[in-house]
Amino acid sequence: MSDMVRKASVGEIINHWIMAISCILLIITGYAFVFKLEQVYAIFGSNTAMRVAHNWAGVIFTASLAATMFNYLQECLSFDADDWAWIKIGGGYLSRKPVKAPPMGKLNTGQKLYYLGILIAGAAIAVSGFSIWLMQGNRSLTLVSHLMHNLAFIFYVVGVPAHAYLGTLANPGTFRIMVYGTVPMEFARKKYPKWIKDMETKR
Amino acid sequence: MTTSNRKALLISPELCIGCRGCQAACKSWNELPVQKTQNTGSMQNPPDISATTYTIIRFSEVPSDTNPVRSLFVSRRCMHCDDAGCMKICPAPGALFRTKEGAVAFNKEKCIGCKLCVAGCPFDVPRYDANNKIGKCDLCAGRIAEGLTPACAKTCPTGAITYGDRDGLLASAKKAGYAKVYGEADLGGLGALFAFKDAPLLYGMNEKPAIAESVLFWHTVLKPLAIIGLGGTIAGALVHYALIGPHKDEDEEVNKS
Repeated sequence: MSDMVRKASVGEIINHWIMAISCILLIITGYAFVFKLEQVYAIFGSNTAMRVAHNWAGVIFTASLAATMFNYLQECLSFDADDWAWIKIGGGYLSRKPVKAPPMGKLNTGQKLYYLGILIAGAAIAVSGFSIWLMQGNRSLTLVSHLMHNLAFIFYVVGVPAHAYLGTLANPGTFRIMVYGTVPMEFARKKYPKWIKDMETKR
Repeated sequence: MTTSNRKALLISPELCIGCRGCQAACKSWNELPVQKTQNTGSMQNPPDISATTYTIIRFSEVPSDTNPVRSLFVSRRCMHCDDAGCMKICPAPGALFRTKEGAVAFNKEKCIGCKLCVAGCPFDVPRYDANNKIGKCDLCAGRIAEGLTPACAKTCPTGAITYGDRDGLLASAKKAGYAKVYGEADLGGLGALFAFKDAPLLYGMNEKPAIAESVLFWHTVLKPLAIIGLGGTIAGALVHYALIGPHKDEDEEVNKS
């Protein structure tokens, strides 16, 4: 087997799976709330059971989202000229011909922006969710929280499936990071040249 | 709902003598327990509706130059809006439902206790019991389904609360000289109509009751957007995969050739 490089730690992988599963559960139950989907409620046995599942999945999701800040936040806040160039060509996703993408670090520009979006919308959805759940009795607060929760929901139902597609079918070779945490060195040099260079100079 | 068999209550505060027989009859029919109350300095008792008090007579003293001792007695309860904010915002299927007579009824077993209906209601009606389940007037859904009159209207000795076909009640109020009937058109038409002699505000009623703007925005914009957003993303991914395909970059191409 060729040289492998570790891109995600075991902790990151586990946390990402926790976040992914709780997020999908929240989105499914979220649609069931918005559109009163009796079939989805029925899976949980009773209406109240689904509410309990949604609320506690929210707690798990919030905790795992908070944990990701230790893993990704610093990287996702660093932008340079290559990032602007990346945005200009849309990461090379919109052309049928191969495109020379600017050199990227551990995460590309799209991933960084996606993470910041998920973090901001996640903070909004968590705060508003806990408000609806625990701070009942203030009509204005509940209405603002309800609106905020549903606005952030739109971001999630667009962003999460796009992220899942980009992490699997659209980029062959990347899904293994979510399973093994490693990628072949050759692949990493192509995809994340600045990250590899950075590691090699530090060594 | 424009079906002509929609039922309603017509409330005429000027006919009310404040006996509160309606409150007692409501408790009796719905088997609601008494609740601890408090003296608020007026004849009003209990102070407000609750999960075990579906209806009250609201007393307000409105002295004027011509009438220094004028008191108003207004029956307060669920308005059974045609366009009901509670039903709009409620996420639990079957928790709030429309009866064929047009009443907004509830099923405690389906209620999830989220209290969003409290925020959705323009009249501050829904209340929650000790088990965190909704309780409110359901227009005596069980009685009216059998062709009976709701307990409050049945027991009212003066005709201050009357029950019947909504169209008929509206016509009779107009005939009695009430040019404007409160609840005729608000929120698609209320299931509780009020024959007020003066401005509704004097009777403690909102002049322009409406569902909160944010709830309407959610209902008309965000809900469709939630479907378009998810569907569009999945469709976009499929189209991208079919037309453009997985990501390639120049180096890869060079290596292959």
